[in-house]
Amino acid sequence: MQWPSSADEARTRLVAALTAVGRGDRAALRQVYDMTAAKLFGICLRICGERASAEDVLQTVYIKVWERAGQFDATRASPITWLSTIARNGAIDWRRSVAGRAVRDTLPEQAAFAVADDSLRADQSLVAAEEGERLHHCLDELEGRTRASIRAAFFDGATYAELAARENVPLGTMKSWIRRGLLRLKDCLGDG
Amino acid sequence: MDDHLTPAEERDALAAELALGLLEGQARADALRLSLSDPEFAALVAAWEAKLAPLHGEWADAQPGDAVWDGIERQLVDAPADKVTAIETRLRRWRAGALVSGAVAAALAFVLVTQPVPAPMPAAPQLAVARIESDAAGPLVLARYDQSSGLMQLRIHGFKPGALAPELWVIPEGGAPVSLGQIGHAGKAEMTMPPPHRLLMTEGATLAITMEPVSKTPHSAPSGLAVASGKIITI
Repeated sequence: MQWPSSADEARTRLVAALTAVGRGDRAALRQVYDMTAAKLFGICLRICGERASAEDVLQTVYIKVWERAGQFDATRASPITWLSTIARNGAIDWRRSVAGRAVRDTLPEQAAFAVADDSLRADQSLVAAEEGERLHHCLDELEGRTRASIRAAFFDGATYAELAARENVPLGTMKSWIRRGLLRLKDCLGDG
Repeated sequence: MDDHLTPAEERDALAAELALGLLEGQARADALRLSLSDPEFAALVAAWEAKLAPLHGEWADAQPGDAVWDGIERQLVDAPADKVTAIETRLRRWRAGALVSGAVAAALAFVLVTQPVPAPMPAAPQLAVARIESDAAGPLVLARYDQSSGLMQLRIHGFKPGALAPELWVIPEGGAPVSLGQIGHAGKAEMTMPPPHRLLMTEGATLAITMEPVSKTPHSAPSGLAVASGKIITI
């Protein structure tokens, strides 16, 4: 699938396709899939840590998109954010499930983290750049380990217990870091 | 560790924890329950998702296998020919489940019926009603419950037929959600509540609907946020 040169045009096409999915248009779902599957699979793979499970989760994600597209409101959320949130929540649901925990127990230590921070890239084509700068500025204001832990929670789907083990601090300390960090982040973003 | 957070900060931190996915086990179930029964808390969770949304620009792409789309396409369900057929199909599924074993039958919270239940109607029925709705122009379910006969009647509007089915939950004040089973996507339905569940149908309890994978038995906990909810009012 070739991207149109303009990010606005891509967004407009995605909104139109999602709107059509909301009316029960299967061909439009295929269009949404072609435009977004690589991104959403990236999310599932990073959080699940393993291809087969990530592909299972990706299927349920697009079924949810099919079910919920009628609720998508382009005036309230960007389409790629809306889709990414469904994918991330689906992958985290899997990670917290009995099956997810069983599969992850068989993975090598740190396998999920090994999906590589250095492969992260700033794909701003569909995400508003300005809001991104503000969030990154506010994250940079936080203490280093707090910032790293919040990022690991977001990108790896790590729990408090996993983060505490990773930073080698008591669970209560990790909770305190993150809760205070999140409330400081909110103050910094300043939009209530 | 004592964080000295105000109750409002505690609540906001909990919403952030749920949005980030930090919680597990009982803490996660409790927070999900709160987001189902309390629209203000659900709005806090959505606000945190929006605050963190710019991070979605950083994921590395990855190509799924070709079989993934085929799997999705197989699970798509077109709109059924008519609403009654959908409810009857569901009824047959539920009854099939109930016949599998006594244990499964016992686990069924109730069985959807398309025929009126010949329940003895006392002279002065005690009624409870609930309007189960979303904040947008989404699905709407009107529930009417006769406490003397245990008969619940539903009018269901606006669910799109598909692989996920609406599942009805009753959430007692301060309690965990209890599944009342899955309902049709549209039309009318009637069900007779088993006695243990009748005790939950009290003033102030919440009825909520989540979209869940089709199941012959009620799920033990919701897998996502409510698409519609409303408080029970007794008349």
